[in-house]
Amino acid sequence: MNTNAIDRLKTLLESSSDDTNDAPVILTVHLGTCGIAAGAGKTLETVKTTLASGSVQPIELRSSSCAGLCSYEPMVSVSRNGERPMMYLDVTEDKVNDLFDCIRGVKTAEECHLQIITHDDPFYLKQQTVVFINRGLIDPESLDDALASGAYKGLASILDNMDPAEVITEITKSGLRGRGGGGFPAGVKWSSCVSAAERTEGIPVIVCNADEGDPGAYMDRSILESDPHSIIEGMAIGAYAIGAEEGYIYIRKEYPLAMEILENAIRQARDRNLLGKGLLGTDFSFDLVIHRGAGAFVCGESSALMVSMSGMPGEPRSKYIHTVEYGYKGRPTVLNNVETLANVPRIITRGSKWFASMGTGDVSENPWNGSSGTKVFSLVGDVKNAGLVEIPMGITLREIIYDIGGGIPGGKEFKAVQTGGPSGGVLPADKLDLPVDFDTLTDAGSMMGSGGMVVMDNETCMIQIAKYFVDFLKDESCGKCTPCREGLVALGTILDRIISGDGRQGDIELLEEYGQNMCETSLCALGQTAANPVLSTIEYFRDEYEEHIRDGKCGALKCKALIEYHINAENCTGCTICARNCPADAIRGNLKEPHVIDQEKCIRCGVCREVCNFNAVEVL
Amino acid sequence: MADREMITIEIDGKSVSVEKDTTILEAAQSIDIYIPALCSSELVEPYAACRLCIVEVDDGRKTKLVTSCNYPVRRPIKVYTSSKKVLRNRKITLEMMLSRWPNVQVIKDLAKNAGIEKARYQHPAVDLNPNACILCGLCMRICEQGIWENIINFTNRGAERAVRMPYDSEQPHCVGCGACAEICPTGAITMVDDPNQPYDAEMIRKAGMRITKEMIKYDEEQCDMRGVGTAHLVEIMDAYDLLPVMNYRYGKHEETPKISSDIFRKYFTKGKPDGCWLGCTMACAKAIEDFELKTGPYKGEKVLVDGPEYETLGGSSNMGIFDPYFVAEYNFYCDTYGLDTISFSTGTSFVMECYEAGVLDKEKTGGLEIPFGAKDAALELLHQIGRGEGFGLIVGKGIRYMKKYFVENFGADPDFVFDIGMEAKGMEYSEYVTKESLAQQGGYGIALKGAQHDEAWLIFMDMVNKQIPTFEDKAEALHYFPMWRTWFSLCGLCKLPWNDVEPADNAETDEPAKVPAHVQGYCEFFEGVTGKPQTMDSLIRMSEKVYNFQRVFNLKMGFGRREHDVIPYRSAGPVTVEEYESRQERYDTQLREDVGIDPTGMSSEEKVAATRKFREAQYEHLLDAVYKRRGWTNDGVPTVAKLIELGVDFPDVIELVKKHGG
Repeated sequence: MNTNAIDRLKTLLESSSDDTNDAPVILTVHLGTCGIAAGAGKTLETVKTTLASGSVQPIELRSSSCAGLCSYEPMVSVSRNGERPMMYLDVTEDKVNDLFDCIRGVKTAEECHLQIITHDDPFYLKQQTVVFINRGLIDPESLDDALASGAYKGLASILDNMDPAEVITEITKSGLRGRGGGGFPAGVKWSSCVSAAERTEGIPVIVCNADEGDPGAYMDRSILESDPHSIIEGMAIGAYAIGAEEGYIYIRKEYPLAMEILENAIRQARDRNLLGKGLLGTDFSFDLVIHRGAGAFVCGESSALMVSMSGMPGEPRSKYIHTVEYGYKGRPTVLNNVETLANVPRIITRGSKWFASMGTGDVSENPWNGSSGTKVFSLVGDVKNAGLVEIPMGITLREIIYDIGGGIPGGKEFKAVQTGGPSGGVLPADKLDLPVDFDTLTDAGSMMGSGGMVVMDNETCMIQIAKYFVDFLKDESCGKCTPCREGLVALGTILDRIISGDGRQGDIELLEEYGQNMCETSLCALGQTAANPVLSTIEYFRDEYEEHIRDGKCGALKCKALIEYHINAENCTGCTICARNCPADAIRGNLKEPHVIDQEKCIRCGVCREVCNFNAVEVL
Repeated sequence: MADREMITIEIDGKSVSVEKDTTILEAAQSIDIYIPALCSSELVEPYAACRLCIVEVDDGRKTKLVTSCNYPVRRPIKVYTSSKKVLRNRKITLEMMLSRWPNVQVIKDLAKNAGIEKARYQHPAVDLNPNACILCGLCMRICEQGIWENIINFTNRGAERAVRMPYDSEQPHCVGCGACAEICPTGAITMVDDPNQPYDAEMIRKAGMRITKEMIKYDEEQCDMRGVGTAHLVEIMDAYDLLPVMNYRYGKHEETPKISSDIFRKYFTKGKPDGCWLGCTMACAKAIEDFELKTGPYKGEKVLVDGPEYETLGGSSNMGIFDPYFVAEYNFYCDTYGLDTISFSTGTSFVMECYEAGVLDKEKTGGLEIPFGAKDAALELLHQIGRGEGFGLIVGKGIRYMKKYFVENFGADPDFVFDIGMEAKGMEYSEYVTKESLAQQGGYGIALKGAQHDEAWLIFMDMVNKQIPTFEDKAEALHYFPMWRTWFSLCGLCKLPWNDVEPADNAETDEPAKVPAHVQGYCEFFEGVTGKPQTMDSLIRMSEKVYNFQRVFNLKMGFGRREHDVIPYRSAGPVTVEEYESRQERYDTQLREDVGIDPTGMSSEEKVAATRKFREAQYEHLLDAVYKRRGWTNDGVPTVAKLIELGVDFPDVIELVKKHGG
């Protein structure tokens, strides 16, 4: 202590290159993975070409990360004279000219068919950004941008003013709980690592879990892509608190952009003495190594992750001895999720009280007493505004889905929301007013998990959903322990026979029995939660299971074996389009006469229904 | 070892006290409570994969299901092995296994015990093979942890998981030890090829597996060869006053802990197969990686030091040097120069004693100041030997040469240098103090190759275990063991697995020193390879032919008679007053009890002389007894009758021994 890290950081900040020009208009193309997938790279090229042609007024062109509304990518933000930006949606390369017309005022957005939203839109208004405070605003590849936005201030201040124990106390008092799904208080984890290290004389190490693998979840990827320095700073603060000098980031190979951005950020941090020996002139040293995972879902489980890091196949081990005591290569190990670590610098700079004031419960005495801060969700599925949302803990599912997400598209009804990924569960409409926090969702039979939130409309068959997750997990189970490996086969086999109309009385009970066994006896959290999608759909949609088994009917008309396509002779004009498109050659009929489907030949693909212009094809 | 913390727990109402961190399964087994466990074996680390060994644990706060095979006992708990919840879950897990492997006997049996005959769902990938692999992982764990090879492992994941060799190919690295096949509970692994086409491969494998099991189970508590190799002998030899210190003057030193195995354990490369050949489960050839050299041509480089073994460590104490870095450095350079660490260290100990006794001085050594403990000088001498320069040129030729050279050129007292120059037949002594072990004196003195322990290592039997008290016992040992050890050389086998790991009940056998169960194993090895059944006697007979023939060869070369079996007196008793006085109580007692002389009032010089007279006579008695037992003349020459009996009665052999009175 009593060093001058803060002064050093100020010097760094002052020496930052100032490459902003005084252009009245700043145009930012959002280049997250979602944007690039939707064509943002081409949009950027076209913008550059147009600017180079000199036909437009002086504009400063910048690139940044995803702005959150992923269903409307590519997005381009335009800010005039330092005002808050307007965001143009769906700006594909062919719309770049229209965009410039709008900027010049030649045409209105409406005339160009360009949609605009601002931060006053309900999508943004109900959000509260803590980890995403810089998303879409700074260039993630620029350390100068990060420094200007306050990066590393937290690290500098603890190096100057706090001893490790004080840092742990501050994090504990903030109530920060693990964002990876477990919800374990970060401060408590850090402090048990410190005592385990003392007890075992081990050298502690800190690991960031960036092995995000839930279907439909991409919060961590977005954080890494938008603000990589927040992770580096969070890890450095954690390392200082637990007495580690080594840090690892376990990131899946499927995140090439996040990895590239992270590698770049680590290099920059090293160059400026924010990583490496003697950080910011103090005697605290810390450096980071990136470990690429090969994409196994189970490697997100802490013990499997650490085994994988050691170069072995990622298989969990029993954690009767916790990883804080016996983790990576047998050393005391703190494993925190990306989002958890991204919160750490914010808590240090703004204080634990500020953080604890957001969310539910009074966590100042005991972090288990509530859920403080915010949570990032990837809101996807049958919802109008799909994207990444950061909300204060405690707002309801309804607010997220209807106010932020804009409700269900296509005039359909809400049926269920799946939270917590494959380990979570499905919640029905009557749970929409539940506040979103760690404990409430768990009590309701689902879990907050890492933040996947899949909305389903009334055309969703819940048995199919359960089967989808069982199949996913069957592929992703490491296969080490019997209940997970064989239990998933058993669940899949029984679900299969229900879906194909061969369900038997007692099958629901059998599913429950096997599911219960998996929860109680599986080795790791993957197996212990693998039956949740089945058990929670049975809990809330038992009648749907019964309908399939007893009546041989699928209410959502999704189970092929249980439905038949028929042509309503009254509506059919005999246009033959269905017969021409049928891949099974199952439709017969003369021109201008009603057609008929041969049920023996029909494979229930639904093409006839899609192509019919007269609503003549019905599903029964 | 410090006392471990004991914890008392309750299993199904029965109390049992166990060491902290004992698993529940071990605790239950210790009081004969049965818990089914498919993936567990005492030979490998727990894996907790089959989940059959679940039990319910009440830790005072809550009750939970845990796997007993890996749940460590750390506080007093109550365990229920057959609660309703346990039985319900175990039954379902077995149902799942039965659904996939309905014909595997071990699963059928367990399922039947749990009350199920048939699963309630049809497994989509049902495997009807009665010898199906049930994914317990025992094979890959014994390969990894027992054999240290890692040849087989799981591939794929989830329902596709399977045990395979890399790339599904035959692995040239698989040594065919058969451990995986042996431990497999279903017979899913079979040996398909025996490239050497032995007479009975199964017989060889069974005998090999017995040793492998002993190695995995007992080595850590017996010799810990897998952990530290032969280095473990340092502290034992020191404890029994047998570790050579300062040219065999003494048998222990207060600084021994500085070079004991506990020190080297930290430096040794761990967990890698480091045997002389792949698949050796003893793997005692330890190594130090990244050792930075401080002297010599490779100064400053980081190297791999192959060792040190016991002899190299004992050689260091013999030079009066107790520094692990010195040991690693001299070990590396001896290996690099192609020198034997024993010859170098014993030779240098002799040089050091001569230096301290005034036989040598700086002028004679070419400037080297080299009393006991002079490690820099010792290393410089080593480099001189390596370069073939200076004083090193003399020392490098060995003790027998030095003795003659020092007498002729430096005016040394021949009696003194012959008493303390520790060689026999021109070979330097290896690192054991033999003064109190008459049998080992004979072992060194009579050995055909010279004073080395490879032929007869009786010091432990004689001194530590006190198994051969009489002359006849010693003579018998000096017949049996050199023959037995010669047999290993005949077959090209390593001796260490014979008695550096022993069956648990070895001590209760009639002749524990011979490790009868292992001798039986070697009979089976031999029979398995050749098809010729063997007994302990027939193996010895093989050696006897060769051994006698070698003795005749020695004779031909001028080394095969009694006069060549003499030993330097330092190996039989105290040469100097200082040496005598350092163990005065022991020697006085022996004078009184064994020699029949009252030492009271005698000067130390007189006592040294009396002791010497007695001990030299003892050695001659021993030679008489050994020659007789071996069927040799009193001059140590094999008799014609013996050679005829052994079938090595070639005309030139007979002619030679007849010339020498045989």
